[in-house]
Amino acid sequence: MSFLDRIAEGWRKNRKPGYYENFDYHWTMTIDLDQCSGCGACVTACQAENNLPIVGEKAFAKGREVKWLRMEHYWEGEYPDVKLNIIPMLCQHCDNAPCETVCPVSATYHNQDGLNTQIYNRCIGTRSCAVYCPYEVRYFNYNDHTWDSPLDQQLNPDVSVREKGVMEKCTFCIQRVRQAKDAAKDDGRRRVRDGEVQPACVQTCPSQAMAFGDRNDPESKVSQTLDGPRAYRVLDELNTKSSVVYLKKVGTEA
Amino acid sequence: MQGDANPLKYTDIHNDVVASIVETGSNYYVALATALALTLICFFFPWFYQLYYGIGAAGMNHPGVWGTYLASFIFWIGLSHSGTLLSCVLHITNSSWRKAMYRSAEAMTLFSLVVAAMMVMVHVGRPWFIHWTIPYPNQMEMWPNFRSPLLFDVMAITTYITGSTVFIYMGSIPDFAAVRDRTRGWRNTMYSLLSLGWRGTDTEWHRLHWAYTFLAVLIIPLAVSVHSIVSWDFAMSIVPALHQTIFAPYFVVGAIYSGTAGIVTVMFVLRKFMDFGEYITELHFDNLGKLLLVLSLLWSYINLVEVFTGFYSGASGEIEALRYRLFGFYAPLYWEMITFCAVLPLLCAFKRFRTSFVPMLFLSIAINIGMYTERFLIVATSLSRQYLPDAWGLYVPSAVEISILVGTLALFTTLFLLFVKIFPSVSMYEVKETMDTPKKIPAAASGGSLA
Amino acid sequence: MTHFVVGLFGDPESALSAAGSIQGADLGTPELMSPVPIEGVEEVLGEKKSVIKRFSLFGAIVGGVSGFLLAAITAVLYAHPVGGRPIITFPPYLIITYELTILFGIVFTVIGFFVSARLPNGLWTSFWKQDENRPYVPEAAVDKFAVSIGCEVDDVQRAETILREAGAEAIRDGTEEVS
Repeated sequence: MSFLDRIAEGWRKNRKPGYYENFDYHWTMTIDLDQCSGCGACVTACQAENNLPIVGEKAFAKGREVKWLRMEHYWEGEYPDVKLNIIPMLCQHCDNAPCETVCPVSATYHNQDGLNTQIYNRCIGTRSCAVYCPYEVRYFNYNDHTWDSPLDQQLNPDVSVREKGVMEKCTFCIQRVRQAKDAAKDDGRRRVRDGEVQPACVQTCPSQAMAFGDRNDPESKVSQTLDGPRAYRVLDELNTKSSVVYLKKVGTEA
Repeated sequence: MQGDANPLKYTDIHNDVVASIVETGSNYYVALATALALTLICFFFPWFYQLYYGIGAAGMNHPGVWGTYLASFIFWIGLSHSGTLLSCVLHITNSSWRKAMYRSAEAMTLFSLVVAAMMVMVHVGRPWFIHWTIPYPNQMEMWPNFRSPLLFDVMAITTYITGSTVFIYMGSIPDFAAVRDRTRGWRNTMYSLLSLGWRGTDTEWHRLHWAYTFLAVLIIPLAVSVHSIVSWDFAMSIVPALHQTIFAPYFVVGAIYSGTAGIVTVMFVLRKFMDFGEYITELHFDNLGKLLLVLSLLWSYINLVEVFTGFYSGASGEIEALRYRLFGFYAPLYWEMITFCAVLPLLCAFKRFRTSFVPMLFLSIAINIGMYTERFLIVATSLSRQYLPDAWGLYVPSAVEISILVGTLALFTTLFLLFVKIFPSVSMYEVKETMDTPKKIPAAASGGSLA
Repeated sequence: MTHFVVGLFGDPESALSAAGSIQGADLGTPELMSPVPIEGVEEVLGEKKSVIKRFSLFGAIVGGVSGFLLAAITAVLYAHPVGGRPIITFPPYLIITYELTILFGIVFTVIGFFVSARLPNGLWTSFWKQDENRPYVPEAAVDKFAVSIGCEVDDVQRAETILREAGAEAIRDGTEEVS
C-alpha cells in the first residue's frame, strides 16, 4: 500500500471507538443477590488468592483496608421491620471505564479480553483513578506490608506482591484466566470452555450466587441470565457499561 | 509625587534599587536563616520520612485518597496566576500603576510554580518514577497517556514555568545592565552574564518592547488555560460534586483572586522591609483593593451558582454532596471560607480601608486562608460523599501533612528572599518611565565647561 | 578605523534633536542610549522594522503541528485502549496542541529577540572592556541620554561641534576604557 493509504487505514482504525466490540473473550460476572447470604467467603477467598495485604488494626481504623471485593450493607426500615440488602462490590471492569482515561502514565488499560487491567510496575501512585471510579473499588497501598509467619507461606506464587505507592484492584483473577487460556491452547488450540475458569470468589461462594463466563459465547451461563428481567448494573445511568451484572433480589419478603 | 517640592529623580530610584541588592543588613541574614531552617525542618524532613514509610504517613485513606497535598498544589498554582497574568494584562492595557510592583509579582508567580511542582512530587505514591509523565523515547517504548487530564497539567505547567521565567528575565535585562555598572567582583560577573551586554540603544529598546508585548499576548491565554486544565483534573471525573462545568471559570477566578491577595501581602513586605515606600504607594493598594473587591464578588457569584444549580437539579448525589459540604463534618471550614472570601473583602468598597496598609495586609492573608480552605474542601468533601453510601468516609490531615504545608510557605519565603538580593525587585526603567523626564536646562544657566 | 564620538545629554529632547542633526549632516545613523525608551525616535531616525513577529508566528505554527503529532503519533505507536475512547481523540489532543503552540511561540519569540537585537554582544564576555564596535557609557543607564556616532577621523571634529550645539553636557571618546 502507498504511504498515504497506510495513514488513512491507521486513522480509520484508531478513530473508531468501540474496539470492545471486537473482544476475544468478553469476561462477565453475574451475582445473584437472591442466593447471596452475605457470608463473606468470597472476600476471604479473594484475599487468599491475590496476596492482599493485611494492613493491621491501626491502618484499618484509619480506613485504609484493602479489599478488592467488599460486602456493602444497606439497611432499610426501623426495628423490628429491618431489611438488609447486601451487595458484593468489586471492580466492575467497565467498558467505558472512567478510571482508565485519567492515568497519566497508562498504568491501567482495557485489554483484548474486556478486562480493566492494572499494571503495578507502571503505576506512580497519583491516585486519580481512585477518584474517578464511581464504585470506589480501587485501593491504594499506603505502606509496605508484611505477612508475619506463617501467613507468608500462604502467599500465591502466581500473583505479585505490590509495594507501597501503587494502586490495585480486582483483576477477575487474571492469573487463572491466563492459565486457562494457556491450557486450552496446549490442548489443541481450542477456546476456553464455560465453567473452566473461575475467579477465587466465584469458586468459593457456598450458595453459588456468582457465575463467571464469556459474554461472547451465547451458550455460556452468564449469557443466559444477562438479559433477564432481574438483571441490572449498578450505576448504569453513568453509562460505564460494566461487566458485572447483578440479579435483583426478589426473595421471600414477609 | 507630581506636586512635591523635591520630586524623585532617576538617580533616586536607581540608587535605592541598587542599594537594596548590594547592601545587606543583619536582619536579612536572620530572616533567610530562619526561612531555610523552617524549610528543612517542616518540608524536607517530613517529606523524606514519608518517602521512607509511604503515603501512609499522611492522613489519606479510602475513599479520601486525595488530601492537602493536592489542595496545596492547586493553591500554589492559583497563587501563581497573580503575577504574570496581571502583569501581562496591565501591560497590554498600558496601565502605569503596575510599573513598581510587577517584578516582584512575577517573581511570586515563578516561585509559586516551583513550590507547586514540588507538591506534585510529595503527592504521588512513587515520585522516583515521576519522569514517566514526560514524553521521552525509552527502552520500554512507553509514552505517557495524552488523554489524561493530569498530563494536560504536565504540559501546561511546563509551558507556564518556561513562559514565566522567560518573561521575568526579559523584563529584567535592562535592570541587570544598570546594576552591572555599579557592582564589583562576583556580582559584576553575574550581572554581566545576565544582562547579555545590554547597552540601552534605541534598537535594543525597540526590539525589547516588541518581544515583551508578544510574550504578554501569548502568556494571557496560557495563564487562563493553565488553571482551567488544573480544574479539569476534577471536572473530568463522573463523581458528583466534582463533575461540574463551572469548575474551569471557578478555578481561574479563584486563582486570580488568591494571587491578587498574595500580591498585596508581598507589596506590604517590600514596602516595610526593603524601603520601597516611595515607589509602592497608596495608589497601588487602592487599585489592588478595587481588584480584590471585583474578584470577591465574582467568586461569591460562582459559589452561589454552584449551590443553586446543585440543589435545583434534584440529582441525589449532587444534593448529598452539597448538603455535606454546607452542614456536614467540614461545615465550620465552609463557613469560615465564606466569611473570609465573600464577606470580609466587601470592606474594600471603602477607600479608607483600601488605602490603609496594615488592614489590607490582614485582609489579604485572610483571603488566602479562605482560598486554601476552598481548595481543601473541594478535595475532601467531594471524596467523602460519592455515589455508593457504603463507601462514604472521612479524611483528616495528619501532622506530617500540616508540617509540609507550613514548609511550603517557608520554601516560598526562602526563594523570595534569595530573589530580592539577585533581581532588582522593583523595575528601575519602568518606574523611571512614570516619573517626569528630565527637562532641558536653559543654556544660560548651564555654566559652560564641557568636559 | 572608526572613531566613536559619544555626547551625553540631560534630557531626551536634546538628544533626539542632536541625533536628527547628525543624521542630517550625513555622518551616518547615530545610536541613542538611554535608561528608558525615548518617545519619538522613529520620527527622527526613520521607521524600525523587527523580524520578531515572524519568529513568533513560525514558532506557534511549529508548536501547533508538533503538539498534535506528538500526542497522536505516540498514541498510535503503542496503542492503549482506555475507557472506550478512540486512540486518536480530538478534545484532549487539542489541549496538548494549544499548550505546545504557546510554548514554542514563547521560545521562538525569545530567540527572535536575541537575533534581532544582536544580543549577547561583545560586552557580554568582555565584561568591563569596551568593544571596538559597541561604545557604551554607564551614565546612559542611570539618568543621562547618550548619542553615539561612529565616523572617520576627519569627521570627528564636525560631529563634536554638532553635539555641542545641541546642548551636550559632555563629549566622550566612545572607545576609551571606563575605570
